[in-house]
Amino acid sequence: MPTGSKSAFSLPTDPAPWLPEFCALPVLGAVLLMAQMVVLVVLLAPGPQGLAWFSLQQFAAGSFLAYLVALSAALLLCLLRTPLLRIGPVVGAMLALLLVALVAAGISALVFWLDFALETRVAVRHDGIGRMVLETSLLSGLVAAGALRYFYVREQWSAQVEVQARSQMDALQARINPHFLFNSMNTIASLIQIDPDLAERAVEDLSDLFRAALGTRPGPTSLGGEIELIRRYLAIEQLRLGPRLKVDWDVDSLPQQLEIPPLLLQPLVENAILHGIQALPEGGTVAIHGHVTGRIVQIVIRNPRPRVAFDEPTSNRHAVDNIRQRIAFHFGERGALEADAGEGYYACTVRLPLP
Amino acid sequence: MKVLIADDEHLARARLRTLLEALPDIEVVGEASDGRDAVLKAQSLGAETLLLDIRMPVMDGLEAAQHIATLDPQPAVIFCTAYDQYAVSAFEAQALDYLVKPIRRERLIEALSRARRFVKPAQIEQTRETLDGDRRRTHLCARLRGNLHLVPVNEISHLQAEDKYVVVNYPGGAVLVEDTLKSLEAEFPDLFVRIHRNCLVARDRIRALKRQPDGGVVAELERVEGELEVSRRNLPGLRKLVKKL
Repeated sequence: MPTGSKSAFSLPTDPAPWLPEFCALPVLGAVLLMAQMVVLVVLLAPGPQGLAWFSLQQFAAGSFLAYLVALSAALLLCLLRTPLLRIGPVVGAMLALLLVALVAAGISALVFWLDFALETRVAVRHDGIGRMVLETSLLSGLVAAGALRYFYVREQWSAQVEVQARSQMDALQARINPHFLFNSMNTIASLIQIDPDLAERAVEDLSDLFRAALGTRPGPTSLGGEIELIRRYLAIEQLRLGPRLKVDWDVDSLPQQLEIPPLLLQPLVENAILHGIQALPEGGTVAIHGHVTGRIVQIVIRNPRPRVAFDEPTSNRHAVDNIRQRIAFHFGERGALEADAGEGYYACTVRLPLP
Repeated sequence: MKVLIADDEHLARARLRTLLEALPDIEVVGEASDGRDAVLKAQSLGAETLLLDIRMPVMDGLEAAQHIATLDPQPAVIFCTAYDQYAVSAFEAQALDYLVKPIRRERLIEALSRARRFVKPAQIEQTRETLDGDRRRTHLCARLRGNLHLVPVNEISHLQAEDKYVVVNYPGGAVLVEDTLKSLEAEFPDLFVRIHRNCLVARDRIRALKRQPDGGVVAELERVEGELEVSRRNLPGLRKLVKKL
């Protein structure tokens, strides 16, 4: 199986950035809330004499310090976001935490000095400036580590939800391709006069296709069912394209009962027609070859395409990305879709693990 | 009225022909199966109105219409499309005539009776850009002894400015087009590279750069006889490109 240029087909979604945008209001809000929680926890933490009670003054002073640290750290991370992201998640996160700890150290020293100079004597503890600076920076660093992890996980989660929602919507749109519907109707309108029997069969095929596409049963389908659907789809395209479309099937050795998400392969065949056969005045052969190697089912859909220097159509890339995502959701890492765009041909290889 | 049908689907053409032949004063002068075919037949058969499918191989219906709009006398063009809400709104924005498939007899009669004859190439160019995000043509349109001649862009080896025209060199010979080098360079930045104030060459055709005894540099192109002068100004960029190739 050739695996030449894959340049046109990068992974569908960027991984979620590990450092959020601290200047964004919701993130800033979350940061301040965390700072406030930390202050409460620290003040309420049981000391040697049991649960500590604290004065309003202590609370205000602690909050002041915490807000100052949180805001300055957020501002700094916001300004340094691009370079930090460029450095990479591991070293970048270490650096970010170090920065937060340094900011905390600086600010707590400043607050200590202010408190001392103004003689408010709220924050000043008997054990001196060193202890306070150390404690503040350690605590800030730890909380920052927790916060970064929290933001990262949340970002990833929301990206995943988005991908899922988008792929569902794409799948729905792919099922009801209006262009295909109206082209088929046009073909049938023409056939009614020329060949009524053929027109009748086309109506039956189209109905089966749309029954499947409109998803009376939303769950998974069988590989055999999907192949049958592709046969019906191709029967309609055959009417439209006539001798320009030839199909080379080799799928007899595939496990018919394998469960797959519905319409996982048909859009790839549709692409082969739209961007391959239909774009060639003389047409060509769509090859659909499937084999089982070990515990992996491999299906290759290959078509000729015009030798032009122009880019891949975006609609094609879109469909490929969408199917890749659906394979990933359904089969995890052992499933794959590889697109191979070469000079004058295009091939998609789908790999699905047997259960 | 002489009508030409252009659609790559045999059955779609058959249906249009049946509809058209039932109408009085309509003569179907021919059928074309792709955009390029449509342009050439529109000219040779003297079609007055074209029914142009949008999605066709070799050259799509919109680009075909762009070339057809330069014919004199200019035929009227009615676009046919299976369904595309974007296409329909783009056509309306540029006041282009269109029909949606499956085409109804009444709509066809109506469209034929008011088909607009004076569509400007720019209107179609604008529509193409709206629909495809791309206004690059697949063919350049030249006039050869009064006849329209279409040169596939990917066959062109080099383009040379000469007076008011640009000479298009390709394996089939050399023809003149009315575009400027500057506009061609802007339209196909990924296909051609400038080697001289008056010359663009196909990037993938450059075989070698050679230094001449007099210190000047010339470029050799694949399947092209002779050498082309490279200007001092374009040399550094060209060297980088050749290294990448």
